[in-house]
Amino acid sequence: MIVAEGKPVEKILEMIAPYKKVLIAGCRGCVTVCLTGGEKEVGILASQIRMARSKDGNALEVLEQTEERQCDAEYNAKFLENVGKVDAIVSLACGIGIQYLGEKYPLTPIYPGVNTLMLGANIDVGRWEERCFACGDCVLDKTGGICPIARCSKSLLNGPCGGSQFGKCEVSAPVKEDIPCGWQLIYDRLSALGQLDKMSEIIPAKNWLRAKGPRTYVREDLTLDRS
Amino acid sequence: MTEQITNIRIGIYLCDCDGKVSKKVDLQKAKTVIQSQAGFDYIRATDVLCGKLEQEKIGAEIDKYSLNRLVIAACVDPFIMRQFLQLADEKGINRYNVEFVDLGAVDSTEAAVAAANNALGKMHLRAEIGYEELAVTPDVLVIGAGSEAAAAATAIAKSQPVVQIDNVGTRVIGLDGFPGAFTVRLLENGQAVKKDFGAIVLALGAVPQYDKSKYGGIELGADILSLSQFINSGKDYAGKKVSFALGMADEDSLLSFAAVLKAALDLKGEGASEVNVLYEDMKVCADGLEQDYELARKKGVNFLKYTGEFQIVRFPSGIAFKYREPFLSDPVKIVADYIVLAEDFVPAAGTLELAEILDIRTGPGGFFQKDNVHFLPIRSNRAGIFFVGSCHGPIHGTDLYNEIEAVLAEVSAFAKGKVSVPSLQPKVDAEKCAVCLTCYRCCPHHAIEIVHGEEYNNMYYSAARMNPLACQRCGVCAAECPGKAIQLPLYSDQEILFEVKQPARIVAYACENSGFLASEFAKTLDPELQKDLQIVEVPCSGKIDIIYLLKALENGADGVMLCVCHKENCKFVWGNDRAEQRKERTQKILNQIGLGERIDFVHVAANQGNQFNTAVKAMAEKIRQSGTNPGKVVK
Ligand code: SF4
Ligand code: SF4
Ligand code: SF4
Ligand code: SF4
Repeated sequence: MIVAEGKPVEKILEMIAPYKKVLIAGCRGCVTVCLTGGEKEVGILASQIRMARSKDGNALEVLEQTEERQCDAEYNAKFLENVGKVDAIVSLACGIGIQYLGEKYPLTPIYPGVNTLMLGANIDVGRWEERCFACGDCVLDKTGGICPIARCSKSLLNGPCGGSQFGKCEVSAPVKEDIPCGWQLIYDRLSALGQLDKMSEIIPAKNWLRAKGPRTYVREDLTLDRS
Repeated sequence: MTEQITNIRIGIYLCDCDGKVSKKVDLQKAKTVIQSQAGFDYIRATDVLCGKLEQEKIGAEIDKYSLNRLVIAACVDPFIMRQFLQLADEKGINRYNVEFVDLGAVDSTEAAVAAANNALGKMHLRAEIGYEELAVTPDVLVIGAGSEAAAAATAIAKSQPVVQIDNVGTRVIGLDGFPGAFTVRLLENGQAVKKDFGAIVLALGAVPQYDKSKYGGIELGADILSLSQFINSGKDYAGKKVSFALGMADEDSLLSFAAVLKAALDLKGEGASEVNVLYEDMKVCADGLEQDYELARKKGVNFLKYTGEFQIVRFPSGIAFKYREPFLSDPVKIVADYIVLAEDFVPAAGTLELAEILDIRTGPGGFFQKDNVHFLPIRSNRAGIFFVGSCHGPIHGTDLYNEIEAVLAEVSAFAKGKVSVPSLQPKVDAEKCAVCLTCYRCCPHHAIEIVHGEEYNNMYYSAARMNPLACQRCGVCAAECPGKAIQLPLYSDQEILFEVKQPARIVAYACENSGFLASEFAKTLDPELQKDLQIVEVPCSGKIDIIYLLKALENGADGVMLCVCHKENCKFVWGNDRAEQRKERTQKILNQIGLGERIDFVHVAANQGNQFNTAVKAMAEKIRQSGTNPGKVVK
């Protein structure tokens, strides 16, 4: 799932400073699941910015609407009526949704209400961890099902490096919590699987072009000729 | 199921309670004001509403005006409530469609009108509560091998089928389903099998365990025995001197006292030459123990009180206790052939594993159940799973039989194979459910499942569903749902937010198990303080949504309070902790936009009216310092 976090409200207030009426657009997809951009967070942000602007004596009218997915045009069509009523949109969907909703309504400015963080798993209520970088050339077969790109701080294909200490990554220090060394995890899993020989296999350099955008994915077997 | 609200017809009755109300409220004026607004189908004010003739008259009016919802504004007490709920039942009005307004608690005509309007508004928004007929499995699984489990199984077997397992030969490895329809996964002689049960009774018991650290490192041996070694020794003690020691281990357990008294009496019967019982405090506060104690004394057992710690000294011809007697200056020495030391009681092997498998909490000493004043002894955090006996802390004698009675009363509800329950569990709007599992993970009672089917109108064809028998109506799930998909009947967001449309200066969201009761008490202590205060009752502080806090402020309150149960004493396990986390976030939200300190989180028990008032004063002071809420949104 795509994981996002709410943007600091000062930033949002700055973005919408010139406007008198905005729509906060939520998404019932990933950002609802990661508790960042569903109907509830839409309500919380709306209430917060209404109060902030009231306090500044510059009342703001805020509409709230949440639809299934902002990464699909058909759902974005449902925002039509409300978009027509406002000066700007703040979207709480991921970066994909924000852009795609914006494309649908090119004449209304759209602003991000979230920072899109990662592709992650929801470990438990309130905790998410990155698992994939969408590199476009998966190597999980060689690494015991643990991603070296997303889980090694240096995305080493042949690790670990000398900074692996007691199972932790040397990059841990400047960040808040200990980062497990991705290659230690790979080693542990491979040894549990009896596939330690894979550790000595050299993984050749990846085709990083596949990880670079702008990427487009087309399936000729599925595309519809609408002419 | 929640039914669509159609054709609501509300009757509102105002009662003077024989002149009591009109001392503070101009009832006729209140009636006129209410009458001038829409929102009801029939209104009447009267002197005494609770008289028999009045009841008949109201019954007739219900028929005449086809009323299906009632607002009763009177001096509300349990008697009045019972009477009107009965009338509602007789007239086929759903009892959840009767709302009471306590006119005894208001002190002005305006306040009476406001309270009545509040009730009328909520009556309009309330979803219809239906009843659910559910098929249930009468069979009960009793887990445990000892005498406690056997006693429970025998008692329950009189009303319905029982299976008893020892959790050793046949072991529980998993549990699915809900009360009335549990599927227990068992390992039976190495074979995994599934069996259906309506309820589960845990009666694993407790086991004695000698802990030498409690006795200054004394090792057991041929003449120093633990109490259970002694009981099981089967030796002949005729002509011997036996001394028991109580009070160093397991101070709170009556089990050791009972066992020692029984052993001492038996020894006397068998002709032991001397029986001594060393004790620090004699504990006989269970049925029959006092008689045993008296009898033992009569039979010549010596009860010797010690203070501080005793020692065991060994000399060539035997062993002795050396101890201090509270009233003698010199130490006393008691020579014995055998010394018997009481043990600690610890949870039976497998208790913790079973707790994890069943998602049942353990508490002090690793026994089942947390130490929490709100928890009934026999009930676990999951409906349909009960405790009996020492598995939730050593118990003795009649306590056990009381527990068995209580469990029997609970499980026998399933004996007929079907039950009918009001559908009061939260309802999920599938269109809004993102199947995020947040509610499932946050429910303290394991009452939620994810169901699939065409009828769930979202991209997953799935939604969360709350089980009517497992759900305990805390509302935690509703407050956590990121999709706002969950509504708790009688406490829907609509109903609660309606109450804070025009809030008082201070809005206190109060848990009905603590804060709300404290507020009722607080009123009587300092009525003046109520002027700027509005109480909004919630079933658990875990129901207090961040949106509720923000909306109260957005709509003009200057401060908001959350009045919750004491720490570790939430009736719904962690509702108050969730509320505290939400309070923290909400205060941050306010700080970000410079609204200042406007939220207080107050732990308060039902009987702490004074503390409640102190907290209200503190809140008032806080908002005095922060000033009027500048974030109020003028509509
Ligand atoms: S717009 Fe983004 S957050 Fe919403 S469903 Fe699509 S990918 Fe997920
Ligand atoms: S190797 Fe690439 S595609 Fe595979 S998990 Fe890692 S980042 Fe994702
Ligand atoms: S918390 Fe809400 S959105 Fe998530 S599964 Fe439960 S009902 Fe669905
Ligand atoms: S109301 Fe409480 S007990 Fe019922 S499903 Fe929700 S969280 Fe669970």
